[in-house]
Amino acid sequence: MAEPQQDWNTLPDEDFRRIFRDWVDANCPAELRFMRKQRPLFDEVAEWYHALANKGWLAPTWPQAYGGMGLNPAKHMIYVEEWARLGCPRIPDHGIGLTGPLLLQYGTDEQRAYYLPRILSGEHVWCQGYSEPNSGSDLASLKTSAVRDGDEFVVNGQKIWTTLAHCANWILLLVRTRKVEGKRQEGISVLLVDLRTPGVRIRPIPNLREEADFCEVFFDDVPVPAGNLVGEVDQGWTLAKSVLGHERIFLGAPTRPEYALARLETLAEATGKFEDKAFLSRYARHRLDVYDLGSAFERFAKVLRAGGDLEADVSVLKIFNTELYQRITEEMLEIAGEAARFEDDLDAGDTKVDAMNLFLDSRAPAIFGGSNEIQRNILAKAVLRLPG
Amino acid sequence: MPQTMFDDEEGTLGMLRESVASFAEQNPGAKALRARRAAETDLDADLWRGMAEAGWLGLLLPEELGGSGLGLAEQAVLSETLGRSLLTEPLAQLVVFSSVLLKRVAESNARTALANGIADGSRIVSPVWQGSDAELSDVSAEPRPDGGYALSGSYHFVSAPHSATDFLAIARSPDGLILVSIDAAADGISVTARPTVDGSRLGHVTLKDVVVSASQVLAKGSAVQAALDEAIEVTRFALAAELAGIASRALEIAVAYTRDRVQFGKPIASFQAVQHRLVDMWGDAEFACAAVVNAADAARDETARATSLAILAAKARAGDAAVSVTRRAVHLHGAMGFTDECDIGLYLKRAINLNATLGQPEVLRLQFVALERAAA
Repeated sequence: MAEPQQDWNTLPDEDFRRIFRDWVDANCPAELRFMRKQRPLFDEVAEWYHALANKGWLAPTWPQAYGGMGLNPAKHMIYVEEWARLGCPRIPDHGIGLTGPLLLQYGTDEQRAYYLPRILSGEHVWCQGYSEPNSGSDLASLKTSAVRDGDEFVVNGQKIWTTLAHCANWILLLVRTRKVEGKRQEGISVLLVDLRTPGVRIRPIPNLREEADFCEVFFDDVPVPAGNLVGEVDQGWTLAKSVLGHERIFLGAPTRPEYALARLETLAEATGKFEDKAFLSRYARHRLDVYDLGSAFERFAKVLRAGGDLEADVSVLKIFNTELYQRITEEMLEIAGEAARFEDDLDAGDTKVDAMNLFLDSRAPAIFGGSNEIQRNILAKAVLRLPG
Repeated sequence: MPQTMFDDEEGTLGMLRESVASFAEQNPGAKALRARRAAETDLDADLWRGMAEAGWLGLLLPEELGGSGLGLAEQAVLSETLGRSLLTEPLAQLVVFSSVLLKRVAESNARTALANGIADGSRIVSPVWQGSDAELSDVSAEPRPDGGYALSGSYHFVSAPHSATDFLAIARSPDGLILVSIDAAADGISVTARPTVDGSRLGHVTLKDVVVSASQVLAKGSAVQAALDEAIEVTRFALAAELAGIASRALEIAVAYTRDRVQFGKPIASFQAVQHRLVDMWGDAEFACAAVVNAADAARDETARATSLAILAAKARAGDAAVSVTRRAVHLHGAMGFTDECDIGLYLKRAINLNATLGQPEVLRLQFVALERAAA
């Protein structure tokens, strides 16, 4: 049973930061810090997951009545900052960050009572079933169908790029419940689907790093109880879109570029590259890009701290962040010289730098969560109000 | 659209923004720039008087020196709005620089007279200190028996060289660096000027045994270097804000133009290639504004070193943003952008001038890294 929570939001920021940091530092296992893997499997980080759950700190933004910490966005930013600073591993968090908030906002009392405790206990591990082979950037064209048959929906189709599906047992599924002419965003619904149901098949896809962190998921006449529908039928697009609130700022947090820059510095120190004027000039650019990303992040963080809401313009951070992460890892390969062709880590004095690992990892963030080209399309419309 | 965002509980900053905007409506910047360029002068005396009446020239000076004693956030908003409005009189180069120098030196009649003159616009004070390499010049000051000096040598990159009533000069003497005020009409001074790309003029001021009395000596020794360093820093900050304003406004102009311009039966702003360009320009201008705010925040809340880093970053970011946004904005105007009649080219030229003033981005970035790594 989780420990009772106090009202964290009335604490001064620095007190909250200290309390959170001290406990995390004392309780997050050392061998899980700064993991090479960006998306560890549930079993690999289960100890940390359960430690957070027992402390009552697993779900920072859920209301305390539902087992969360009830943090406001300002305190949540501190939570995320300290988490990153201490190098804690990412936990499979689709239940915490996606299914939970969706049920809190749109679920029935029965759904909340059933699913939320099972997320906190780790009994249910969730994944997100959105993309399909022909519906990636153009998500609204999705075709996986759910046809009502008595007390059930029968689901047929295929999802892809489903992160961590192979260690999940539940999937939050976007399905087409009605074929519509014209406005394709209509006729989409959200279903909660048990992945252990007969007719579901999961195939992991090795990524560029030769790790399996995303999957294909096939649905062949999969029966889903009608009670597993979230919200109104055919209204799922609006639900799915509205669930991301202030969390969008975290896609732009400078954490990854900062980490990569520190690794670049280690490699450059060890190889004497700081004596090279051409390198120094390029390094200075990366350094200032990271610094200025911090200033830009702060511009949006101030809005949240003042109690305001983020608007579409926050995705400028995601674009800059992910492209900067790529530039820094490209620089690592550049200064690695002939050694850039090795798959394993590079020698850097008495330590090693995982240049290739980071380079390959940095290919993904500019694609997921809406590719940077899609982000630019959205900004063109929503911020610059350019004609379609 | 991009703009610096400061806390403004009392509404001072909003009023300042409005005051510059209404001034610019009366005195359109592009028109004034073209007039000054045609007249081959280095300063528009009418505009300058108007800016003094608006209270902008005494903004950083303390009240006892005739100013309003405001801070960096106010200076940022003023400079940013001047940049947006293409009001290109050398306020940062003359007034910000001189105000910091005068704030840092001991009380004297000469100091009071100069400061009051700056604030009310009756004196145009131009700081002179750079040599041909833009570093500290080697102008030498020979001590005289009366406690004064005789100065000889050349200053480069001098703003308003012909319009200046006084020079605030830094020279090398046997007593170390000295800061002196010189009457621009003094014997032994000769001035030549070259046109700048944005329709102003920069001077080359040569001194031959120019005599200054003891009462004109404002500071000596290490205090001069400290004052100079701070003047450079705060002026860079003001330039960064002005550049951020230029970037933001040039983006808006490009958005408006591409929405209006129809080709293939549609506004060219509806094409994805153009849209993504505009979004990147917008992002660059947003980052420039955020860097300026970060520098002002650092100056208020953090150490001198952290402030130095933040200002180096802001000037580099805003300079790059202004030059590259205006360059892309010219391109998006097509052939129109290549005409002198279209204002967008003036924004580009202004950005080039300010970006080159007191350190281009590459130099500033290397300074940032050197400062950061030295302390590490």
